Amino acid sequence: MNTPDGINPNTSTHMSQMPSQPHYKGLVASLGALAAVGTLLQSCRKEKEALFELNPVNLYSSAAEKDKEKTNAQYISILYTNLFQSAISSNQVFELDEAFRSIGDQEIAKEVLISNFFNNAGVQLPTSEEMNGDMDTFIIETYKRFLLRIPNEAEQLWVKNFILSHPYVTPEIVYFSFALCNEYKYY
Amino acid sequence: MKRRSFIKTSAATAAGAIAAPYILPSGRLFAQTGSRSAEHVVLVMFAGGVRHQESVGMRYLDDAQVNEPYPGNIMYNMLTGAPPEMKIVYGTGEGGISPIPALPSFVNNSLQAQGTLFQEMQAFSSGHFGGLNSILQGISAESQGLKQRPINPTIFEYIRRHGGYGATDVWFVGNGIDGSVPLLNYSGHPDYGIKYGANFFAPNVTFNQQSQTYLGNSKIYHPENELNPMYKLKAFLDNTFANYGGSLDALGNTEEEKQNIKTFMNLMYEKVENGTLNLPPVSDSGDAYTIGFASEVMTYFKPAFMTVNLSGVDVCHSNFSDYVRAMHRADHAVGHLWEVIQNDPNLAGNTSIICIPECGRNDEPNSIQDENLWRAYDHSDANSLRIWSLMAGPGILSNHVVGSFDAPVGQVSDAMLTVADILGIAGSIPTNLLADNTQSLLYLMNNPG
Repeated sequence: MNTPDGINPNTSTHMSQMPSQPHYKGLVASLGALAAVGTLLQSCRKEKEALFELNPVNLYSSAAEKDKEKTNAQYISILYTNLFQSAISSNQVFELDEAFRSIGDQEIAKEVLISNFFNNAGVQLPTSEEMNGDMDTFIIETYKRFLLRIPNEAEQLWVKNFILSHPYVTPEIVYFSFALCNEYKYY
Repeated sequence: MKRRSFIKTSAATAAGAIAAPYILPSGRLFAQTGSRSAEHVVLVMFAGGVRHQESVGMRYLDDAQVNEPYPGNIMYNMLTGAPPEMKIVYGTGEGGISPIPALPSFVNNSLQAQGTLFQEMQAFSSGHFGGLNSILQGISAESQGLKQRPINPTIFEYIRRHGGYGATDVWFVGNGIDGSVPLLNYSGHPDYGIKYGANFFAPNVTFNQQSQTYLGNSKIYHPENELNPMYKLKAFLDNTFANYGGSLDALGNTEEEKQNIKTFMNLMYEKVENGTLNLPPVSDSGDAYTIGFASEVMTYFKPAFMTVNLSGVDVCHSNFSDYVRAMHRADHAVGHLWEVIQNDPNLAGNTSIICIPECGRNDEPNSIQDENLWRAYDHSDANSLRIWSLMAGPGILSNHVVGSFDAPVGQVSDAMLTVADILGIAGSIPTNLLADNTQSLLYLMNNPG
């Protein structure tokens, strides 16, 4: 049985090379007993429960704080997470990055990718009823999800009026706009 | 001076200025600015490192391999000359013994017979990326770094800025995404850049099965009820972000152009799936597919300018037999593209084509032998600076050869200015951004010097 520092008290060369003079014998015995008690105590200790959790993401206080453009790989990964609420595989990111590099207009590449994602059943979207039932919350949550910030009053009012005045606007259309806007391409 | 004689002299001077070519401070001559000789131009970067001897030299094995005295023309769609009689490995079937027949419209009527051949020209760089940059920028590309956007404006930007063309009027069809090829559709020049860039596809990647998995199942949105509000909301979000100083330059495709490109992409995915892509009759090479997609771009968008980049011959670093196969197929593919153009009523008679390699290959082989025990060639010596160019179309002399193997005429940077000249914008291009002695091939065609 090993001690906490990894030394086996019975086989350690450190111990065996100790001089065998009488006044050391008591000390050796005491140390041995101490080590045994320590080991016993440690083996009886209740195991700590591992707790895994996501780091909280700090919200931006303003869009002005975003000054770095996301790479294609960052954009694709974050978009996937935002829409599917799960992580994309690194292989998929690599393959999509290649596809993006083969298209000159990155705006078009993004539009096509988003519309393909929305054709996938796994997208996590609120329903139109949920959006219309509590529009303020929907708008705030959409800003938080995509832009990592709370909308200011003017933004919230404008988006609310926009949705109310466009009867065909669904959460999907709103999400599409947010995923395509310039602010979403920055961090 | 009397008033009458003053007016007379002024009128004569003005008339002379209008009629004569521009004489720029550098002493260069350009064709008259503003007059287009064709509505459409296709620039084929016949790239990958084409050795002068096997291409326009028509030497096949004679100059390249020891004890193989077999010359001949393996590019008989583009060039006039008899094919090799023996040791044929570049065709189809086992061992490549069956040459691909000349395309119908090129039998006894090669592209050379239809146009003008610059038999011996000078490249500036023996590297691919440098050579491609020289073609597109009209410069020597000495200070052009790898993995870097072109330093000076490209022909795409000149055309869009000075010709007033839209984004879908200017296309770059690349052979792939390696070798910094996707960086070539616009420069980092502060006065030009992305907003004047070309639309770009590397179709062998964009439309392959892998990309189709992610991009080939687009949802169709109602243009008025769904797309219109979607773009409106995006515009609001972009304006808000712009107030904080955030903005993102783009290629400048209009919403209509974007929809058109997305429709084209869906059409390509369908055609790939159905096997109805407009491919050359023999399509067993990457270049054949690149040309197939370029043909689709040409007939769908009918752009003012399209560049297509081929690269199959670069296999010559390690396999000479595959190199001649690739060259034979590249010739076949270019012939197909020209036939597609001639069969489109909107393009026929109104389109010019320019073909030019970006660099050549060495005089001496390396030590790698292929299955025929033939030696391979790299590109780094003076021989790899030997190139040529072939052009045809309205206003271009037919069956005309300029220069000779001993008397080169023209240089790689001339291709860019020639495109600009055909589209009537050569006079707008700042001369300080061009390599020394750059001329339009239209001018050199008549004034070889």
